[in-house]
Amino acid sequence: MFHEAPGGSGAWWGWVIGSLVVSAVFLALLQLIPQRFRRYVILAITFLGGLYFALEFFLPTHAMPTPQDPKAEGNFLTPYLVPFGNVATVIGAWTVGVGVLNLCQVHGRRLTRGGSNVIYSFAFFVSMIAMLVFGLLKDVNKTFTDIYDLLFMHGLNTLDATMFSIIAFYIVSAAYRAFRVRSAEATLLLITAVIVMLGQVAVGQMLTSAIPKDSMLAFLRIEGIRNWVLTIINAAATRAIGFGLGIGGLAVALRIWLGLERGSYFE
Amino acid sequence: MNILTLLQNLDRRWLYALLLLTVTVPFFLKIRLPVTVSPPTQKLYDKIESMPEGSFVLFGVDWGPGTRGENGAQTEVMMRHLMQRKIRFALLAFAPEPSVLCQNIAVKLQKEYNETHPEYGVQEGVTWVNWGYKVDQVNILKALVRDVPATVSADVHNHTIADLPVMKGIHSAKDISLILNVNPTASYQAYIQFVQGPYKIPMGLAPTAVMAPETYTYLDSGQLVGMLNGLQGAIEYEQLLGVIGRATVDSNSLSFAHLLIISLILLGNIAMLLERSQRARAGGAR
Repeated sequence: MFHEAPGGSGAWWGWVIGSLVVSAVFLALLQLIPQRFRRYVILAITFLGGLYFALEFFLPTHAMPTPQDPKAEGNFLTPYLVPFGNVATVIGAWTVGVGVLNLCQVHGRRLTRGGSNVIYSFAFFVSMIAMLVFGLLKDVNKTFTDIYDLLFMHGLNTLDATMFSIIAFYIVSAAYRAFRVRSAEATLLLITAVIVMLGQVAVGQMLTSAIPKDSMLAFLRIEGIRNWVLTIINAAATRAIGFGLGIGGLAVALRIWLGLERGSYFE
Repeated sequence: MNILTLLQNLDRRWLYALLLLTVTVPFFLKIRLPVTVSPPTQKLYDKIESMPEGSFVLFGVDWGPGTRGENGAQTEVMMRHLMQRKIRFALLAFAPEPSVLCQNIAVKLQKEYNETHPEYGVQEGVTWVNWGYKVDQVNILKALVRDVPATVSADVHNHTIADLPVMKGIHSAKDISLILNVNPTASYQAYIQFVQGPYKIPMGLAPTAVMAPETYTYLDSGQLVGMLNGLQGAIEYEQLLGVIGRATVDSNSLSFAHLLIISLILLGNIAMLLERSQRARAGGAR
């Protein structure tokens, strides 16, 4: 219903402001809940949310045509998947807001107290406010668009890429120092790593390029050995790890859903 | 300190300088080394090649500036192929950066093709669309497969997507012919879990090289039709397309950086083994 109103129209702004007011009232009501009952509210919402998605997934399906998709199938809960998804998205967006508030609290406290790291808190506020202001104003005129592009494309993106690139230097240093053949397992790992790395790049592939691709010895080409390592040995190990992770994830999900989990989730 | 000890304990600043040179100098070399196309790359290429003109691809882009070196090249080369084959696609991001970065790539390619190959008819809103950045991947995907226009509603320019020519006939997952996901994390699994699996839609993946090993199980099971393994996958794909794009330009740097790491590891190990044998001999002599 919200997105049916044309963007920027009076109805659209009405929906935006109305949604904000309703959300603010809802949050204020939640704040009024006494501390000792909050845990039960969180437990109930978590359980009901999980129950909906579990039932929707496990209940038998039958034809459930909609105007958009006359051949769609589902059960009586299926039509609510989209609105429920939207609710979850809105909650996610609000949690971002809560995160920002928390950051402001932490860095605001540091700024007022002073100390050696106060410059970082100052940088946080300047960056956040600048991105927020120019992000909101970027469509107003070209100057604001240019400033936003400067901050986003040439500031944030470049810093992000730089941070990640630095890892390459540490990897080289760490690989050189730590990758030593001190045991049979380490030797095996080293040989495998060298094969996979050589098979991964053009220079490495040149080492065995003299072996014709259609000959009987083609399996000795470095890229072939690399492919075999990745698709056979690596895949088997990864699958085993995946099963373990899956079962572990299921157990954790069940604990959270049923309110058995403790710590930051429910206390 | 003897030479063998020194070779095992090179100052890290020398290593950093060597890596910097190894990565930057090859950019100025004109050598283009041929590569062997790996089966996962070939399969993804063949899949897109076999799709009829006008098919619709859901193009998930979940990478940021940190992995632009690999994922940017992968995104660009797959977009090239889709544009050349006149296959429609929609970009969808679950982080703010890729939505902007991939919009820029698509606009750049659109401009290039409209100048060099106007017959492809590449036009935003007609042959491709950017659905933009959405919050909450799992729930968006679960809703998207049921009702695309209701879930996405508008593109990055705030145009109602249901009104765009590119979205003609696209209502639910059943109308999507292929999923492509360029993703440096494990969140590609949400596409497999909620879109590819339940609706049996073919899916191709482009992870970073460091993430690629864990995705081979999905290739083996047939849940992925093909994959571009890091930058090398993009280089192979460009070779298949016959273009010299950003991946091919980066190829030499990738090769020499790998060689540097292998050389340093071997150097450290040879020095260690020689030193051990020297010590053993010295111990035997005493």
